[in-house]
Amino acid sequence: MSDAPKVVGFVCDWSVDLAPLLDGGRLRALPNVRIIRIPCSGFMRPSWLEETLNRGADGVFVTGCPYGDCLNREGNYLMRDRLDQLQRRLVRRRIDPARLAMLAHGLHDQEAFLAEVGAFVERLRALPAAAPARPAPTATAATAAEGEGS
Amino acid sequence: MTLATQARPSPETAVRGRYGRFMTALLRGTIRLDTAIHRIYPTDYNPLYYTGGLANLFLLILVLSGLFLFFYYEASLGGAFESVRYITEGVPYGGIIRGIHRYAADAFIVAVLLHLFRNWFTDRYLFSRDNPWISGMFLLVFGGFVGLTGYQLIWDERAQVLTGLFLGMLRAVPAVGEPLARIFIGGAGVSNSTLVRVLFLHVAPASTLYVLLWWHYLRLRHPKIWPPATWVLFSVGLVFLLAGIIPARGETPATPGGRPTGFPMDVFFLLPFWLLNWFAPLFVVALLTVLVVLGFAIPYIGRREHPEAMSVRHAGVAQVIDGNCTGCELCYYDCPYNAIIMVPSPAPGLSRAAANRTLLAVVLESRCVECGICVGACPFEALELPAFLERDVRQAVAEAVRA
Repeated sequence: MSDAPKVVGFVCDWSVDLAPLLDGGRLRALPNVRIIRIPCSGFMRPSWLEETLNRGADGVFVTGCPYGDCLNREGNYLMRDRLDQLQRRLVRRRIDPARLAMLAHGLHDQEAFLAEVGAFVERLRALPAAAPARPAPTATAATAAEGEGS
Repeated sequence: MTLATQARPSPETAVRGRYGRFMTALLRGTIRLDTAIHRIYPTDYNPLYYTGGLANLFLLILVLSGLFLFFYYEASLGGAFESVRYITEGVPYGGIIRGIHRYAADAFIVAVLLHLFRNWFTDRYLFSRDNPWISGMFLLVFGGFVGLTGYQLIWDERAQVLTGLFLGMLRAVPAVGEPLARIFIGGAGVSNSTLVRVLFLHVAPASTLYVLLWWHYLRLRHPKIWPPATWVLFSVGLVFLLAGIIPARGETPATPGGRPTGFPMDVFFLLPFWLLNWFAPLFVVALLTVLVVLGFAIPYIGRREHPEAMSVRHAGVAQVIDGNCTGCELCYYDCPYNAIIMVPSPAPGLSRAAANRTLLAVVLESRCVECGICVGACPFEALELPAFLERDVRQAVAEAVRA
């Protein structure tokens, strides 16, 4: 587990059916991926994603329904836009925007979902470890480099 | 313990009884169909995501072609069929336009039914989404009736049989049936004034469809009322092609006093009349009434899941944190249901950012579907879902990043 990137996924409850994939809040196939269920992908506030990265996660992704099929019509489009904005903001804060991802999968797309999450994890593995601006979750003095972070 | 970290109920316990299991199976089947379509089209182009927009497109085609037909149509017993024949044979491209009107009507009702079933099976009527549902049922009833009167307008043999059958159904209704039938045909029997009324009953409810559509869209912000350009072109091309290949013509004129016994069936509009082959008119009327009443009742009967089993889906109506709201309107723009309105701020907010606000966001509880999109839109921590607070999200994140 030590070399596997720590990933947190926020998954819309209407999108991928995770019941067969989950094992105590983690994906059985990828135990380094923790899942948090949310009512709609549009529920995610971008600052929470940034905070998750700052608290020590190596990668964060949000999963919504396929584009065009959001139960609330717009949640996944809105989230995609907010994620784009957040990625631009992350660049300014010297956090690699590749640590964020937006996925869109339907109820039965478990295989595609796992494959895409797997690819995301592989991309994270290839990234240079802990960017300098990111404080380690346990380090107390690391916030000094992080004036604009919250 | 937050909602998010609770063990998710298995599908077996989440649904209640046979109805719940059946609806879950339909939901899964509907989305499995999408999965199959996505092997061919990108998700944005899945035609089943645009059934409402397609119905709207076909309605516009119907209005435009109907206007053309209206110029030539003569609403009288003697002249109706002749004017239709003149449109088909005498007017340049008249036959094509007639065909377009005919096939667009079929496509319209197909799109409407697909729209109905898809939104029913995928739970898009839950919580306060009943407004589009009820207006949609009105649209279906009005649309079906417009189809019936459209078939009567041609005044061929089929129209004659249909009128007889429809009058039979009306008269079978106890107490009000006979007067209704009298109003419908404008007298004791079919006369010259009948077709004038039928023409009115074709055009007026069709115009009413647009009023109902306004109601249909009322609670939706950015409704998808138009399909992607490729599907517009495809649909327009399809009705043109059909109108060219299988023209609408060859009807036999109605004969006064004639008693034709059969007619070419149209599965899209005339299905209730097909039932008359086996059942008494009163039974068919009762069946239709029950179906429509059940349709209207769908949002209010048989919730598939009880609130506890809905877990994170049932997180409560969004609440505005008065002290933090800056009146920036971001939630107001993002709410897909027009559930958030901006009102003049009665008092300044408590946070520094909210100190100089002029507006305050207010959530209309009766319109909120608990999706939380406003929570994600708010950069000032001024919105919360009661059962899934920001604190809960942070706690879930803390648990997730811990070792």
